[in-house]
Amino acid sequence: MLKALEGSQALARAVALCRPGVVAAYPITPQTHIVENISKLVADGEMGCELVSVESEFSAASVVLGAAAAGARAYTASSSQGIMLMSEVLYNMAGLRIPAVITCANRSVGAPLNIWNDQADSMAIRDSGCIQLYCADNQEGVDSTIQAFRIAEATELPVMVCVDGFVLTHTLEPIDLPSQTKVDRFLPEFDFARRLDPKAPKSFGTLVDPGWFTEVRHSHHRAMQKALPVIEEIDAAYEKAIGRAAGGLLKTHGPKGAKTAVLALGSVVSTLRQGLNDGLAKTPVKIIQLRCFRPFPTEALIEAVDGVDDLIVLERAFSPGLGGIVGTEVTAALAHLKKRPRIHNFAVGLGGRDVPVELLPELIAATRGTTPEPFRIFDVELDKLPAEDR
Amino acid sequence: MPVLTRGAYAEPGTSLAFKTGDWRTMRPVHKHWAAPCHGACPAGEDAQEWLARFQEGHPREAWETIAHINPLPAVTGRICPHPCETACNRTHYDSPIAIHALERWLGDQAILNNWSFPGAQGVAEPAAVAVVGAGPGGLSCAYQLARRGHKVTLIDALPEPGGLLRSAIPMTRLPRDVLDAEIGRILDLGITFKPHTRLGDEADLARLRQEHRAVFLAPGIGLAKNWSVGGQVPTDHRPALELLKEFIAHGKVPTPASVIIHGGGNTAVDLARVMKRAGVAEVHLVTASGLPGPDTEPGDILNVVPRELHEAIEEGIIFHPHRTIQRLLMRGSKLMGIEMVSLRKLPGASGRKSRVAFEGTETILHADMVIPAIGENVDPTGFEALLGGAPYFRPADEWGRLPGHPDLFVGGDARGDRGTAAGAIGDGRKAAEAIDLFLAGQEPVHQRRPTLPYDHLNMAYYEPAPRREPPVLPVEQRTDSDEIEGPLPDAEARAEANRCLSCGSCLACDNCWTYCPDNAVIKTIEQAQDGSHYVFDYEYCKGCGMCATECPCGYIVMEEDH
Repeated sequence: MLKALEGSQALARAVALCRPGVVAAYPITPQTHIVENISKLVADGEMGCELVSVESEFSAASVVLGAAAAGARAYTASSSQGIMLMSEVLYNMAGLRIPAVITCANRSVGAPLNIWNDQADSMAIRDSGCIQLYCADNQEGVDSTIQAFRIAEATELPVMVCVDGFVLTHTLEPIDLPSQTKVDRFLPEFDFARRLDPKAPKSFGTLVDPGWFTEVRHSHHRAMQKALPVIEEIDAAYEKAIGRAAGGLLKTHGPKGAKTAVLALGSVVSTLRQGLNDGLAKTPVKIIQLRCFRPFPTEALIEAVDGVDDLIVLERAFSPGLGGIVGTEVTAALAHLKKRPRIHNFAVGLGGRDVPVELLPELIAATRGTTPEPFRIFDVELDKLPAEDR
Repeated sequence: MPVLTRGAYAEPGTSLAFKTGDWRTMRPVHKHWAAPCHGACPAGEDAQEWLARFQEGHPREAWETIAHINPLPAVTGRICPHPCETACNRTHYDSPIAIHALERWLGDQAILNNWSFPGAQGVAEPAAVAVVGAGPGGLSCAYQLARRGHKVTLIDALPEPGGLLRSAIPMTRLPRDVLDAEIGRILDLGITFKPHTRLGDEADLARLRQEHRAVFLAPGIGLAKNWSVGGQVPTDHRPALELLKEFIAHGKVPTPASVIIHGGGNTAVDLARVMKRAGVAEVHLVTASGLPGPDTEPGDILNVVPRELHEAIEEGIIFHPHRTIQRLLMRGSKLMGIEMVSLRKLPGASGRKSRVAFEGTETILHADMVIPAIGENVDPTGFEALLGGAPYFRPADEWGRLPGHPDLFVGGDARGDRGTAAGAIGDGRKAAEAIDLFLAGQEPVHQRRPTLPYDHLNMAYYEPAPRREPPVLPVEQRTDSDEIEGPLPDAEARAEANRCLSCGSCLACDNCWTYCPDNAVIKTIEQAQDGSHYVFDYEYCKGCGMCATECPCGYIVMEEDH
């Protein structure tokens, strides 16, 4: 049954359905409501986990790492600078191959201080070796969170579920929360083969010398690649168990034969879909939602852009001095194709700037019949800058 | 070929393959420093060591540790000026340990419980040794020799043993039952004590040397120094030590209306207090030294037990520090008063400091009597040739060996460079060690450890704790016979002992073992070679120095490692 739920509340309930043993978090806008709601569920006796209040995100992630290493299903959430502070531990978690789930309520990274949404935070730790899933709406947020535990436990990799701050976390949406029985059937109890056990001692995080470090890195890379089909399989299993899929590695929306496509991650996808459904695009265009950014689904991407002449890559973060992050990766992934689309790469909606439904026709108009221009920030208003800073 | 574990976790023991000791450029070593109290003790007591036994809850072992070095702790705990407390590292943190009060507490416990002296390693061939003078130096030497099995004859001119402890220290500072108990326990070791025996001439000493393989001379200083002011001397003047001895023997002192005592030692202060209590209205003490205070350098302070000085001021003794007597004001042969002048220690042309009187600072002080208390020399009777006209014996070294006389050893006040009972006790012990080795044809060896400086302690591991002061009789209750300073109550004594920082000795706190990031500190059940319970595993110690930094008591130091 559909329920009107705030995104954060829906995510909290989704986490509760997964019966984590340990939740540890430190509040930061716009993540706060998620953990607040979990805290309420625990206080009300609806959730039986150990909720650990810590003094920083570094500790939150460390508690989760330790708890998961000891065999507990563990969860944390953060945003922005909180993700930055966690980053050392996230690298450790991934490198140690510890399964856990982290929600990133995406927010810009300061300075300047800005509490609103973009994806600079999760993009900054894209090389940590964590799986990253980006959600277009809160229903996907719920479904991906439940799937994330199973993905993490199957691959022994941490999974970060990215939901756009405010746009999703603070927005009410009709949500279908699966029943506990169904989730229990989909998500078996966590049984960590390598868990820390005094009866069979192991030492996690010891020194690895040059004779072995390369092999550790190789196996991590392979684990990420091998996670690609696992993510698809688990989405399929979820669809079978719950009756709804979350989008596998990527999913497309719109006419199959469209020569123009827009690729995006996160809630912008919902906005673009809305524009398409409202008929704002005068030419056939399809929307490609990159749900799984890490591992990068090269094969699925190649398949999705088959026949596309113009591919517009939109992103809510970029790498200063280079340009788009997703755009660069998409370009690289398609570089070896004989026939590949022209790629137009824009950043939009930085630091919470509104992304309206009119974006779709504007994008199409801006790229129609032109040779691709270098990366630019699509919605920048240059007249707000002194001439020398434009 | 071993295969990588997922996430590269390590099986137990596998990390032992990383011999992190290869990285080291510095290595931690245990270093048993001398605590400052040990270095400062004239008797040679290691207060840190006996305080440690006390902290462990073994007061008898603590007393035995003292008794190996000093057989008179109940005495020294009462009368010593305790340079150990002045040196105590805790001074830099809050206040020094009340070492004297704890030494006294242990000494009293030993008397109360009739503890016997700890055993010592005996000698194969006991020898006859004579000790001249039954003061603290002679008693200490006789004790150390007797417990090693030598046949000791102790002679003294007086009817009872004790020297100045008995003849010149007021009962208010040293009850005679305490003195008797401690001396009795020494004599009970089988020492032959011959009282009323004075070396009358050179032949007596020669005979003594003939009859004994070695002789320890601790005759003390019994001859008051000549005193005059510009050649003037009141006809009726008498030296302070003589008056003090007379008071102790007969309970009588002169009681003029006012008196000036000239001198700044314990004898001067003791006599001043005795006369004040006997009814002398005004007791002045004129001394070239200074009173403790911000303007007085430590070396310039009155050489008196600090608490005795404090008590004397409490009792109304009028001190005239940094003064000397320039002129006696006489009417005929009768003293009317003195003219005092200020003086200070100033560096002279050679850079050496000497006392300089200031013109224009003359003041007049009226008094009926002046008593010199400027010190004493060795009474040369029986030692004329040996002294050669000098006021003191000048031994060649700290063992008390006299040049040209391998069988003669000297110690105590007669050396001229000691001045405390503790110093005499130290001399007696060292001479006994040297005698014992001399008899075996061997040389004594110095065994000195460097003293731990305060900055080598990690004070983060200690908490402030107030010093426990022993109870003191209020001025109005003080008499000529009752001891003024009382004992620390038992619980207070234990608490005070617990304040010791254990400078330079392992506390067994486990810090090194806990903090070592390489588990390269191994804890042992048996005592390791250095007496601690830890050894370093240099195969894995990478020399980070954390153990040395976190060691509270400076026991771990880093040294170059090549």
